[in-house]
Amino acid sequence: MNSHEYVRSILAARQDLYKGMPKNLSLSTEEEGGCGVTGFCCSIPVRGRHIFKPSAQMHNRGNGKGGGIAAMGFIPEMLGVDQTTLNEDYLIHIADLDGEGLKALEEKFIYPFLDVHLAENIPHVDDYRDIAGLEVRPPDIYRYFARVKPNVLKAFAAKKGLTKMAPRDLEDEFIYQNSVSINRTFYDPQGKMKAFVMSHGRNFFVLKIVGYAEWVVQYYKLDNFKANIWIAHQRYPTKGRVWHPGGAHPFIGLNEALVHNGDFANYYSVAEYLKQRNIFPLFHTDTEVSALLFDLYSRVYGYSLEHLIEALAPTQEMDFDYLSKDRQRIYQEIQKTHIHASPDGPWFFIVARNDTKNNELQLLGITDTAMLRPQVFALQEGSIKIGLVCSEKQAIDATLDSLAAEDPRFGTVADMYWNARGGSHTDGGTFIFRLDNSKSNGEEKPMTCTDKFGREIKAPQNQVPFLPGRVFYLMDDGQKPMLDLTEEYAKGDADALYKMFIASIRDWDYAETLDCLKELKRLANESDGNLDLTLNVMTRLIDLRYPTFEKKRRSLLQMYNYTLNRILCGVAPLNSDQAQGKYRYIDFESRKTLRAPLPGEAVLVVDSALFPPEGDEADGVLLREAYRLGWKQFIIFRCRGQRFYGCGFGPATQGVRMDIYGSSGDYIASGADGLEIYIHGNAQDQLGQIMKEGKLVIYGDVGQTFMYGAKGGDVYIMGNAAGRPLINAVGHPRVVINGTCLDFLAESFMAGDPLNGGGFVVVNGMTIDHQGNVIPQASPYPGSNLFSLASGGAIYVRDPHKLLVEEQLNGGVYADMTEADWELILPYLQENERLFNISVENHLLKVDGQPRTYDEVYRKVAAQKLAVLTGKAQKDGLEEYK
Amino acid sequence: MNAPTKAFDPSQVKEAPSRFRTALGKYRVSRSAKCTVCGLCVDVCPLGVNEKTGGRITSPRDYKCLGPKCPTACFKQCPVQAITVRTDPTFETMGDYRWTGDMLVSTYYMCETGRIPQNGLEYRTGASDGGFDKLRLIFPKDPAQVSPEEVDTSIELNRTGDGRPQIDIPFPVYGGGMSFGSVSIRAIVGRMKAAQALNSFCCTGEGGYPDDLIPYDNHVITQVATGLFGVREETIQRVRIVEFKYAQGAKPGLGGHLLGDKVTPAVAKMREAVVGSALFSPFPFHSVYSVEDHKKHIDWIKATNSKALVSVKVSTPTDVDMVAVGSYFAGAHIIHLDGSYGGTGAAPDIAKKNIAMPIEYAVPMVHRFLVAEGIRDKITLIASGGIRTPHDLIKIVALGADGIVTGTADMVAMECVRCHNCESGRGCARGIATTDTGLVEIMKADWVAQRLINMYQAWRAEVQRILAKMGLKSIRQLVGRTEFLAHLDYLPDHVDGEIEY
Repeated sequence: MNSHEYVRSILAARQDLYKGMPKNLSLSTEEEGGCGVTGFCCSIPVRGRHIFKPSAQMHNRGNGKGGGIAAMGFIPEMLGVDQTTLNEDYLIHIADLDGEGLKALEEKFIYPFLDVHLAENIPHVDDYRDIAGLEVRPPDIYRYFARVKPNVLKAFAAKKGLTKMAPRDLEDEFIYQNSVSINRTFYDPQGKMKAFVMSHGRNFFVLKIVGYAEWVVQYYKLDNFKANIWIAHQRYPTKGRVWHPGGAHPFIGLNEALVHNGDFANYYSVAEYLKQRNIFPLFHTDTEVSALLFDLYSRVYGYSLEHLIEALAPTQEMDFDYLSKDRQRIYQEIQKTHIHASPDGPWFFIVARNDTKNNELQLLGITDTAMLRPQVFALQEGSIKIGLVCSEKQAIDATLDSLAAEDPRFGTVADMYWNARGGSHTDGGTFIFRLDNSKSNGEEKPMTCTDKFGREIKAPQNQVPFLPGRVFYLMDDGQKPMLDLTEEYAKGDADALYKMFIASIRDWDYAETLDCLKELKRLANESDGNLDLTLNVMTRLIDLRYPTFEKKRRSLLQMYNYTLNRILCGVAPLNSDQAQGKYRYIDFESRKTLRAPLPGEAVLVVDSALFPPEGDEADGVLLREAYRLGWKQFIIFRCRGQRFYGCGFGPATQGVRMDIYGSSGDYIASGADGLEIYIHGNAQDQLGQIMKEGKLVIYGDVGQTFMYGAKGGDVYIMGNAAGRPLINAVGHPRVVINGTCLDFLAESFMAGDPLNGGGFVVVNGMTIDHQGNVIPQASPYPGSNLFSLASGGAIYVRDPHKLLVEEQLNGGVYADMTEADWELILPYLQENERLFNISVENHLLKVDGQPRTYDEVYRKVAAQKLAVLTGKAQKDGLEEYK
Repeated sequence: MNAPTKAFDPSQVKEAPSRFRTALGKYRVSRSAKCTVCGLCVDVCPLGVNEKTGGRITSPRDYKCLGPKCPTACFKQCPVQAITVRTDPTFETMGDYRWTGDMLVSTYYMCETGRIPQNGLEYRTGASDGGFDKLRLIFPKDPAQVSPEEVDTSIELNRTGDGRPQIDIPFPVYGGGMSFGSVSIRAIVGRMKAAQALNSFCCTGEGGYPDDLIPYDNHVITQVATGLFGVREETIQRVRIVEFKYAQGAKPGLGGHLLGDKVTPAVAKMREAVVGSALFSPFPFHSVYSVEDHKKHIDWIKATNSKALVSVKVSTPTDVDMVAVGSYFAGAHIIHLDGSYGGTGAAPDIAKKNIAMPIEYAVPMVHRFLVAEGIRDKITLIASGGIRTPHDLIKIVALGADGIVTGTADMVAMECVRCHNCESGRGCARGIATTDTGLVEIMKADWVAQRLINMYQAWRAEVQRILAKMGLKSIRQLVGRTEFLAHLDYLPDHVDGEIEY
């Protein structure tokens, strides 16, 4: 049987599954917005409680009307089965919606067909009302470990014309079809909703409720239940009243569970495509059809993961041209066949998949080609490995925090954080964390991370992470005198202290580093001058890149962060009667004690830890009020996704300075008009919207739609920007991005004449490696859209090898890089050098070790008057068709 | 800053005649050379069509004329038959099916006098043969006794109970967004002055917040639209209401679009963009691709201004009911539905009326859904998109809206003739939708304000008259009461009351 016939035979076998379904598809889908999604994949099984914190910290991405989790990769004993049963049996979860039990269902669909090796009603909290906020009783879940009876399978093959199918594939198909029949009988949107199949694959399950995702963990008592892969979803259905979790994520195919953030526009088209293949959505959400597509491609068409991803997120525009000829040929066929089913619009999928054919457990994150939803990936390697993917970086950090608190082999900081570039030739918009199930070593499975094309992503090699409390102190001879920095502090030379630190990293072990940090902490809280000095040094240690030799930067960062937090927590509280000092501390508990600064008080230290991320109680609002009261300098630390810092201060806020540490959230500096904000680490999405004046410095990457509609401001980004930076910016923003952007940089940029007071963006296309070397990225700007439809301003790209091409512009032109241009950007590059140690002379103007002139290195993209911008009125919108 | 007189005090009405030499009207009165200047026509006409100044009779103010059917009939009384009255040929060319000549002229009349025209002009409905023009009011047989003066026309704009200020407006209308750039500064200032006098609001549109508006801050709604032009923190902080514009009913799927011609140096300066280059706003907010982004967006505005109410303006897609519920849960105070009939000449014809749902479909759909969700009384539902007359206002409220936003009606008050050339710089011959420094001169802000004050006074009196006739003491009692409406295509056999044709 050739593959064509094979596909046809399976699809034909499903023909009578949907008998009696309405011929016309329902156009109405369950409405929901984007959502919060999170997932991680760990080389050892970890407890369910660790999905709790990231879920809770993304409450503001859901509304408590739908939450779900999937767990994959289990310890058999925890489920009361043996390893073989776990590996080979289908793990079926059926939700009992009306609480009347599943006797009828079992008699009709379970026991006649399946050899059930274990059946149970899974444990849950006795009274759902014990979980504060939970309003709808979650369904009882019936769990079965089962195989299809051999005689049933044989009859099935004969009846459905699938006799040539491999036995295991046949069994998969039986389970799939049986579940469709169950759902059609017991989950009828027009009639009674009694039960539905939540999941039925191998070695994973799905649980979902009407509520927040973390309540799933509480209600079904999964706090201590262990799995390798966890994914969670906070849903935001816009319909007010929801009584059962049928529409909640994850959705399943067979061996995959999929959660989705977004809302694609062509649900009808995708559903129609599925209908033509005898697949009908029963839950009417775009997430369900996505999961069905996934299963169709993987199990029916038999696509490899790469081709499956291509079918979902086709490679487009210039990226397609950069593919190899072989890939182009195959991708073209895939696109021809499946483009109608390619989800169109904003979407981001996280998928947990048991690739049973290759005995591999996988966690995937796939973004749409325009990268319209936020997404962050992270990888931490060490004695155990973990890969994470989330809507927000802060949720990743929350997961790591939670894990590290239980098991010191986890660190609180990942080795790497990055974004995928959708539909690209560089990474395919997808990253996959893979666990090799065949090479389990006890509970541990080898984990790798690859992109769509199979290229492996690895943390820097040959570095050892810090493992607290174990080896390091033992290696001390116990005679060495404690480090004493009193003299250095007396000199007050921060530069010298910082340099001493950097110079010592190679020779110090972690324990000595800790000693030194302890000493810093001891001295820091002794006087304001000491605290000034310490903060200066600590901040540089956190911000800058330098060789860390065989130590992991993430471990050092973990120590620095810890020390800094301890130091800042030791600052005198605002409401204390301690003697006056420059620094004053306030936290959520003491927020009502906010008052105007007394003489001598200058810096308000805000412990962000317990503040909500938005609303009138948020610390963003507290800062605004503090500013009204006269505070001008702020240190905000222990952030975990709080938003809106620097918002609402009003005009002319020159002289205000804000330093932000931790996992800061969205919208920072949006509306900023004069103040200076320093973000010590990566930043999230939508920063600097409508920013007018002031300075924003980010010691890391920045997320989506950064500086949308900005009017001005001087902005320095140490790393990359994600998609759509500076869209619709006007006026005079001046931005240096040392890395690159995913795509759509400065679309509709209208920032006047840069040589005459207007705005510009410098893209350096550099990266700093783990030993502190500043090196060029593969391309300074890999995206297909640069400066599209811009009418003003300019982009200056460091592109000595002339890698940028005409095709990337839609409206802009490559213009001569004149001396005036260089004089314009040089002061910004010098400030950039001062901030990030990225040297104009030694890094930017050196190419392959050779000094070059500015016009050999930088290229200018200037605006051009397009007909569409100056043309006469379009009367009917049909001009382009005439 | 409060208006010097109480809003809707009759004393606010002051005559505000046309600013052109020949005002547009339905009839043309001509006086031939036979005229002997006897002055009889001046004496008989109660409407002041004929007037004598000095020793001569001035050219007739024929736009006030009742036409050939006038009972006084100066043309019959003229001893020398010097006067003829006939339909003005210009009038025949005026208007379109939605905004008929009658409706334009009667709106001019209201703006001049503050009263509903009594000369037989059809001021209530148009001739579009659909939408509001197919709906009629039903007056019940035995209504409760209510006098028009005691009818309460005020509505609340914050019904959420979230602790933000409670804002009432005395009449359920405020001015829709028209940006600086799309219309002249005088048009904007005039609308703001009227909003202040009537204790209502008027929206800036997306073209920024000109300093000329600062005196009216308390009555300004500043718009945050997808282009974010001119939106600054201080503009958000100045106002009591901030409006998010997601889409316009006239052109859903398209952002704002100011053509290059209209981007004069002044406009470019306000928007900090490039002179002569068209300004496109993206269709969606690039930072909002989902409802949780939307919530974040609203949270941002709330964090920036702790006292402002938030209005969310959306067009009317088929799932507009879900959008409304989503907006409520995201924290909006006002959901503003913009239907498909509105839009100036700058909106592409192919989009107007062809994409969004008509407002009279969208409003009941949303109203009922909000009722079913149990949150109808927690949000203010505002409708716009082709609401032209007090009768349209009554109809849309009966369909489920709390109040309305006007756009085109305000333009007509400024003597727009609906020539549909709004998009080009010098195009607006009436000096309204222009930024041309010469054309701007032909209109004065005080005049605009007075015209609008007069118009809304006339509207309010009419609304009070209708509600009284329905036996309702407050416009709030009318919300969602479709039993007061009849559709001409689906007339029931028996109506318990009187249908007003």
